[in-house]
Amino acid sequence: MKLTVPALLCVVALGGCATVQRGSIPVVEASGSASELERDADYTRATSGQSYGAQPVTEPSAGDAVVVMVPQQSAGSPLQVWSADSPQAPQPSYDTPVISQSPSGIPSGGLAADEQLDGPVLALLTAAQQQQAGGDLNGASSSLERAQRIAPREPQVLYRLAEVRLAQGDAVQAEQFARRGLSYAAGRPALQASLWDLIAQSRERMGDAAGAAQARQNARVSL
Amino acid sequence: MTRSRTSRSRKKRHPGRLRWLFGWALKLSLVGLVVLAGFAVYLDAVVQEKFSGKRWTVPAKVYARPLELFVGQKLARDDFLRELDALGYRRESNVAGPGVAAVAGNTVELHTRGFQFYEGPERAQRVRVRFSGNHVVGLDQAGGGSLAVARMEPLLIGGLYPAHNEDRILIKLDQVPPYLVETLVAVEDRDFFSHLGVSPKSIARAIWVNATAGQMRQGGSTLTQQLVKNFYLTSERTLSRKLTEAMMAVLLELHYEKEDILEAYLNEVFLGQDGQRAVHGFGLASQYFFNQPLAELQLDQVALLVGMVKGPTYYNPRRHPERTLARRNLILDLLAEQGVVSVEQATAAKQKPLGVSARGTLANSSYPAFLDLVKRQLRQDYQESDLTEEGLRIFTSFDPIIQLKAEAALADTFKRLDGRKGVDEVQAAMVVSNPETGEVQALVGSRQPRFAGFNRALDAQRPIGSLIKPAIYLAALERPSQYTLTSWLEDEPISIKGRDGQVWQPQNYDRKAHGTIYLYQGLASSYNLSTARLGLDLGVPTVLKTVERLGVEQSWPAYPSMLLGAGGMTPMQVTGMYQTLANGGFNTPLRGIRSVLTAEGEPLKRYPFQIQQRFDPGAIYLVQEAMQRVMREGTGRSVYGQLPARLNVAGKTGTSNDSRDSWFAGFSQDLLAVVWLGRDDNGPTPLTGASGALQVWASFMRQADPMSLEAPMPDNVTLAWVDAYTGEGSDAGCPNAVQMPYIRGSQPSPGVSCGGQEAGGVMDWVRGWLD
Repeated sequence: MKLTVPALLCVVALGGCATVQRGSIPVVEASGSASELERDADYTRATSGQSYGAQPVTEPSAGDAVVVMVPQQSAGSPLQVWSADSPQAPQPSYDTPVISQSPSGIPSGGLAADEQLDGPVLALLTAAQQQQAGGDLNGASSSLERAQRIAPREPQVLYRLAEVRLAQGDAVQAEQFARRGLSYAAGRPALQASLWDLIAQSRERMGDAAGAAQARQNARVSL
Repeated sequence: MTRSRTSRSRKKRHPGRLRWLFGWALKLSLVGLVVLAGFAVYLDAVVQEKFSGKRWTVPAKVYARPLELFVGQKLARDDFLRELDALGYRRESNVAGPGVAAVAGNTVELHTRGFQFYEGPERAQRVRVRFSGNHVVGLDQAGGGSLAVARMEPLLIGGLYPAHNEDRILIKLDQVPPYLVETLVAVEDRDFFSHLGVSPKSIARAIWVNATAGQMRQGGSTLTQQLVKNFYLTSERTLSRKLTEAMMAVLLELHYEKEDILEAYLNEVFLGQDGQRAVHGFGLASQYFFNQPLAELQLDQVALLVGMVKGPTYYNPRRHPERTLARRNLILDLLAEQGVVSVEQATAAKQKPLGVSARGTLANSSYPAFLDLVKRQLRQDYQESDLTEEGLRIFTSFDPIIQLKAEAALADTFKRLDGRKGVDEVQAAMVVSNPETGEVQALVGSRQPRFAGFNRALDAQRPIGSLIKPAIYLAALERPSQYTLTSWLEDEPISIKGRDGQVWQPQNYDRKAHGTIYLYQGLASSYNLSTARLGLDLGVPTVLKTVERLGVEQSWPAYPSMLLGAGGMTPMQVTGMYQTLANGGFNTPLRGIRSVLTAEGEPLKRYPFQIQQRFDPGAIYLVQEAMQRVMREGTGRSVYGQLPARLNVAGKTGTSNDSRDSWFAGFSQDLLAVVWLGRDDNGPTPLTGASGALQVWASFMRQADPMSLEAPMPDNVTLAWVDAYTGEGSDAGCPNAVQMPYIRGSQPSPGVSCGGQEAGGVMDWVRGWLD
């Protein structure tokens, strides 16, 4: 109840932001705006309060359920990093992903099943989103690096890091983070396209028109 | 009386002279009064000036990484408990407040203390952490509801002390635990809240006590006088100093509230000596002796600290536990006597042990090598005075759990090597970093890790031997049209004449030639002949350029001997080089510091994560494959005597001429460790890279339980079936067929399937099913 007010405020604040910046998960940019607001409201409710990333998220349905650190990739992708069925999967605890933790209200066709984030990474990306919306780009960077330490191979974290670096005017690092993200984005064409798009923006910022065009070409190929 | 009588008698005889004398006396005393008044004015200025400004300079504080808690995190329960102990959490059955933890089997409930971080505050909260295996499997708020992530407060690992070496943690009066003020007043200055700076009553009492005892037992100093003495004056014991002290005490009381004076006293008082460092104030003393924030101290701990005020050296609880215990109990009795606490409370408190934290535990260890790294990085950005006076908070990536495991691995290995001739003189250095973030997590600069001194991890530049070889193979694999992992190399003798006329004639370690081998075998088995040939084909400058691209600036001459590691690097530089290999060809400057906050918790500076892609991911993928084969079938294979077979790791041994340097550098997915063993005088050791440094590395990895190396396969890499003996294209169903990665387009053309028909592979597969 107490959280409703900040939640609503944040919805208003986030709603006022440029659409490009506010998608913490790039691939949902095509989704309808009403449901996006709904999703953001959910994000906010999950993590509002002053303590970034330390708030309770919605209780998972099964008491014993376990949250996965990184998104489960679709079964067909060739080489998974922490996939449940890989022989090197470190612990049985990764076997039971709980997707009920991901934000509700996502239209079908928006966020693919393999793009869903959860637990700590989602909380920290959301915190970074709020910091960025409040103009605290250093704080946002710092939260994203915290997320990167927790899930170093999550391309969506690298995407957001690149995005914030670009907002900070560091196009060189923005491109580098996007490229690192690409190396972990195999089998995720929508994300690849977004990363290439970010590379194109970075190159434009650096005055490299030809490179930007090439990156845009790659973005189209990915999709 | 006496004076008036003599005056009168003098008056009688020399009236004129007497008036003259009297006049002079009057003038003199007037002058004296003026001088005294002037002195008082001066003292008043001194008192006010120092007390109203910034009262203390505080050294920068250096913190370890905060432990993150989240479901799925790799963290053993016992490691977590070790961290909690280091942070001074009291183990109780009920979690009553911050700094308390309750352990029940695999569940730990605790109340965190909260902390101000760069990104914002982490609030104090009650959390329940559930462990299974070596992972966190549950994280809930005590009131119900799961938590996404929580952060512990970071462990304080050191400070940057100025020349006078005074250290303190400033506290405010509202942060003190119950009974501290009452106990201090009861023991040191019973009339504190009523006197005016000096207390004639206490002086009289002191004189009485000392007179009856026949010796100095008690001082009559008030807390205010003690503060004045410590804060403004030297420690000489003269009457004039005593008078100055009294005057200043009165002046201080005139200008400031009792609370201000008390707070200053609590921060100023000297409570112990830690080597070069003087422990001042109750805030630091609480951390130093109990690892706990002052606010959490219990009655018995408060009594102990207050008891130490009388003589911090004499009543040092670590050095003189018995007499300190007696002093503490005496004070508890006094408190009961004066009605500050009940007799029951005092009795209960007296039952408790001293409870002082042991030296050498996680919290009470010094990490001179890592602090040295932090200082060097900070000095590039800050003035010395900023670091020693402004109370900056330095947040680092130091992981005390990993550090202790690294130190233990060194100690264990040396114990096992003990008895080998010459091992006694062998020194050591070790660097552990996270290859995915470029953060330094642990640093060992000496075989005696507690001693500050020559920091070999940063300063010992030694020939790297075969550690250079991955750079040669990487340079080759960057040319897929020329080289693949299964290209043939000649491992045959070679000799070349240098420009200076000297003949360079490398040898294999076993002094044999191995004929024709696969390229990857040259690296896996660390053959010098084939590697030298490969390097010469590529060109020495190309190889040196590759080393530079990997992240190490050197000015090595382009001699052929550089191909076998005649050039020197520090363990830290090697870590930088291997970091690029471990992180998919992305170079990251190694960092030890994350951010800096001001004393008030305001963000000051960040040391951001930066990466730069230096190599094609495909070429790096192939080098990593070869480096994994070092461990599976090459010079590093003894590692699997200590590590489980399912764990993929990659690395390289290095041994310089005459075994003067024993190196190993290697990584898992989440840990990169570099170990160097050798003598400071550069003499020969009985250790090779495999028998020395690798053993330390393996022991460390076994304890650290790393994540298996699983690099994502880059787009331009493909797997192909090849015949293990001929290296030619084969088929999944064929005998001796093995799968190898190639840069797309460089793989051998697919072999004929072995079933004779095109669908043979599938038929074999089906047959396998039927069988």
